[in-house]
Amino acid sequence: MIMKSSTAVAKMTLDGEEVGFTPGETVYEVAERHRREIPTLCYDPRLEPFGGCRLCVVELEGARAPVASCTTKAEPGMVIRTRTDAIDAHRRTLLELVASENRENDVDPLRGYASQELATLLDRYDARTGRFAGSHSGRTRDDDDNPFILRDYDLCISCYRCVRVCAEQQGDYAISIKNRGFATEITTEFSGLLRGSACVFCGQCVQTCPTGALADRKALANAEVPGKIEKTRTICPYCGVGCSVDVMTKGERVVGVQPAMDGPANEGALCVKGQFAFDFVHHHERLVKPWVRGEDGRLREASWDEALDRAAQGFLKAVAEHGRYSVYGIASGRAPHEAAYTMQKFIRMGFGTNQIDNCSRA
Amino acid sequence: MTVPTDKELSEHWRNEPAPLLPLLHAFHDRDGYLSDEAIDHVSQALKIPIAELYGTVTFYHHLSRREPGSHAPQGVAAPRVCMGPICSLRGGPAILEALKSEGATAMPCAGRCDEPVPVLRGAEVFVGMTPESSQARSSPMPPPNPDGVEECVFAAIREPGRAGIDGYRKTCGYEGLERAVAVSPDDVTEIISESQLAGRGGAGFPTGRKWKAVAEASGEPKTVVCNADEGEPGCFKDRAILDYDPHGLIEGMAIAAYASGATRGFIYLRYEYPETMNILERAIGEAEAAGYLGESILGKDFDFRIYLRRGAGAYICGEEGSLLNSLEGKHPFPRNRPPYPVTHGYENLPTVVNNVETLASVPHILRRGAEWYRGLGQNGHAGTKLISLSGDIRRPGNYEVPIGLPLQTLLHDWAGGPSDGRSIRAVTMAGLSGGFLAGDDLDVTLDEPSIRSVGSMLGAGGIMVFDDSRDMIAVAHAAMEFFAEESCGKCFPCRIGTQRLTERLAGGGQGQGPTDLTEWIDEVTDIGQTMKATSACGLGMAAPLITESLMRCFPRLVAEHVKS
Ligand SMILES: Cc1cc2nc3c(=O)[nH]c(=O)nc-3n(C[C@H](O)[C@H](O)[C@H](O)COP(=O)(O)O)c2cc1C
Ligand code: SF4
Ligand code: SF4
Ligand code: SF4
Ligand code: FES
Repeated sequence: MIMKSSTAVAKMTLDGEEVGFTPGETVYEVAERHRREIPTLCYDPRLEPFGGCRLCVVELEGARAPVASCTTKAEPGMVIRTRTDAIDAHRRTLLELVASENRENDVDPLRGYASQELATLLDRYDARTGRFAGSHSGRTRDDDDNPFILRDYDLCISCYRCVRVCAEQQGDYAISIKNRGFATEITTEFSGLLRGSACVFCGQCVQTCPTGALADRKALANAEVPGKIEKTRTICPYCGVGCSVDVMTKGERVVGVQPAMDGPANEGALCVKGQFAFDFVHHHERLVKPWVRGEDGRLREASWDEALDRAAQGFLKAVAEHGRYSVYGIASGRAPHEAAYTMQKFIRMGFGTNQIDNCSRA
Repeated sequence: MTVPTDKELSEHWRNEPAPLLPLLHAFHDRDGYLSDEAIDHVSQALKIPIAELYGTVTFYHHLSRREPGSHAPQGVAAPRVCMGPICSLRGGPAILEALKSEGATAMPCAGRCDEPVPVLRGAEVFVGMTPESSQARSSPMPPPNPDGVEECVFAAIREPGRAGIDGYRKTCGYEGLERAVAVSPDDVTEIISESQLAGRGGAGFPTGRKWKAVAEASGEPKTVVCNADEGEPGCFKDRAILDYDPHGLIEGMAIAAYASGATRGFIYLRYEYPETMNILERAIGEAEAAGYLGESILGKDFDFRIYLRRGAGAYICGEEGSLLNSLEGKHPFPRNRPPYPVTHGYENLPTVVNNVETLASVPHILRRGAEWYRGLGQNGHAGTKLISLSGDIRRPGNYEVPIGLPLQTLLHDWAGGPSDGRSIRAVTMAGLSGGFLAGDDLDVTLDEPSIRSVGSMLGAGGIMVFDDSRDMIAVAHAAMEFFAEESCGKCFPCRIGTQRLTERLAGGGQGQGPTDLTEWIDEVTDIGQTMKATSACGLGMAAPLITESLMRCFPRLVAEHVKS
């Protein structure tokens, strides 16, 4: 950032202050770099600027009407005002209009990473006035019973971030824009279910949705779990890509996973496993005690000592009869990193073989 | 006749420029609708992701997704009946009702306001104000003006045979192109700049400057796109040129191509002019055969080809960015500007986008000179403008007026005024995009500065007349409903604003919004101002002129409406 501005040669005026910029930057990017808080709803810094919500409009001296700062490239000599009474009034009207098309505007933050954006702006611009009442847009797809993504389009504000992230980031083109105007909907091919579409359930559309219209069903199942959501930054254990994630917990309970938008390997992307497959942690069928097979061939609960002895005997027997290369270790992708480390140490040091792998080699 | 297979259709189109719309039309014409299998096939043939293509198909209202019923002959889509501002007052609803059994649907203004009510059936347009009188007929010829005022675009249009190449050449046709290629491209642009010709599609951008920008921009091939989408309700002037002077347009495009360095051209024709499609196809063929299109035109190092493409029922596709996306087979949202088409147009290459009327003026200017054209205007204005006049007026039709002519002269002296015992309550401007003028505002002259001074615009030049028998709230409601239906849905102020304004204008207990007049006015004003200031394209900026002018011209009607 500092590098960027110090090498900049071009200058423009931002709210009366002369600032430098790098050619190619948008007015929004320049303003954000200078700590202006310009509201947005259709903006996601990872995507091509779209210019749909119009909340980011600013005054450009000499222009007939305000311009969208997200799509306007900075140019030398531009005189920009990011906040005036008129601009604020337009932003408030736009927010009142958006609020008027939804069933509700306050949603559980477990729905998704960006799900609080609209509610936050409504508060910031004092836009919960109930003006502009009228029909609602969007239609929730109750029929789509896939286990991962709730398609609660009653809350959709047609920002198309989901469609654009699916195309531009995921490269999947599973969803698109149906109809036009107020009748616009987000759709799959032939209005079908996500399951029958090209969707790979990466969840990126969920995490960029600014209203929670697309929601993480797995996380939302924990909405009633008491306690505050805490986020812990870690790396997804499932494969070697190393996507950064924030694991959400309430007390001792893991309630969801969100991608880290600033994760160097993934920039907000995850795959279906990293995104949604966290519920094994508290799964009721999960093994929590050791079991051994008895003489009768049936499994019975055992003590750790008995179980470990039995396993050690098995390994030693195999090595004695067939040599050390008869052992091959595969660590579980669901185990924590510390366990994975210990596992490879155990195989290498314990058996003297390099035959160690992980189930989630990607 | 053998029915072409899916594969034959896609093989025919897939390597042509701008193939998506013609390929979709080919399937639609064959089957009468677009089946899932057809969309699947097109998706694979043109490598467009299936979800995206499906969404784009639903954008175009002429592309039916429903199999026509058993009543319909094989492969003929259900009829569409015009319910535009004029036709809905001239028998449109009764015709629509009568054709319901054939699966008829309503369409917005289909550009036949001078001869209501058009019904689109396959490749034919039927007109008539009752279901019984409805018959297929060619469009009306523009009436001559009674004062014998000199014309430009229409100067030779009434000559018999002008639409064919022989008739065209007999009336000085292609002389403009011959003069153009005898001088340098820059000289041609200079002549157009000197003539002060400006865009006649609505925005009024100086044409010479546009051509120069394309000529100077880097990137090839360059393109000339003729915007023949003419979707504005109450506008049907481009139709007259296309039907009766198609070579005038082709010659204008060829001159534009020569001046700007373009080698390929498109005509983007609105769907609702099917006969016009045939007329243009024939004229392009004639021009190619005569060497006015193709390679080494008139023996010069100048190649230019024209491809005809048809829209599919979306007003917004007249907006140039949306039109270019539509041609490219993308979802037809308007583009963010800048960059403009002159540098980033068709396939992101330099492109001239001009209206039919603009381009059809060009051959006359080349032939008779910039000074002649400038002199056609009145009161210091340059040139002429076509006006489509319709509604409650004795002689509706297309008139070519000197820019600066008083509106009252056109309404009363040229077009005969309202019928006996009636008076004019209001007129619309720019089709619907300029809102209403009434009372003293009717004393404007027909030029942008004058009309803008009363908060409206001349735009594309559609004027619809409403006499004192008309319910202006109902007219305004239908107008706003049009904008709401045609809003592309890209930007918030227009997508939600047109809907909310429509709801606030609805009568008969259907309305929503405040019942207190002050609150109603506050809401409608705030929505309108934010739409004008922040909308992403001209549709959303223009739509609130309807409510703004309604409140200004008819405050009493508005108060009564809100009360009830
Ligand atoms: C909503 C909307 C609809 C438009 N429809 C048309 C149209 O049907 N025909 C047209 O020539 N221009 C139309 N325009 C204007 C075009 O964007 C563009 O300015 C024009 O084609 C340029 O040609 P000109 O300079 O010759 O006028 C429309 C603009 C908007 C915003
Ligand atoms: S989950 Fe991923 S693949 Fe599926 S629609 Fe969302 S972004 Fe596209
Ligand atoms: S579902 Fe969410 S991200 Fe997608 S368009 Fe609607 S509000 Fe925007
Ligand atoms: S103003 Fe209306 S038509 Fe234009 S981009 Fe916005 S939504 Fe689309
Ligand atoms: S952030 Fe610029 S228009 Fe939405």
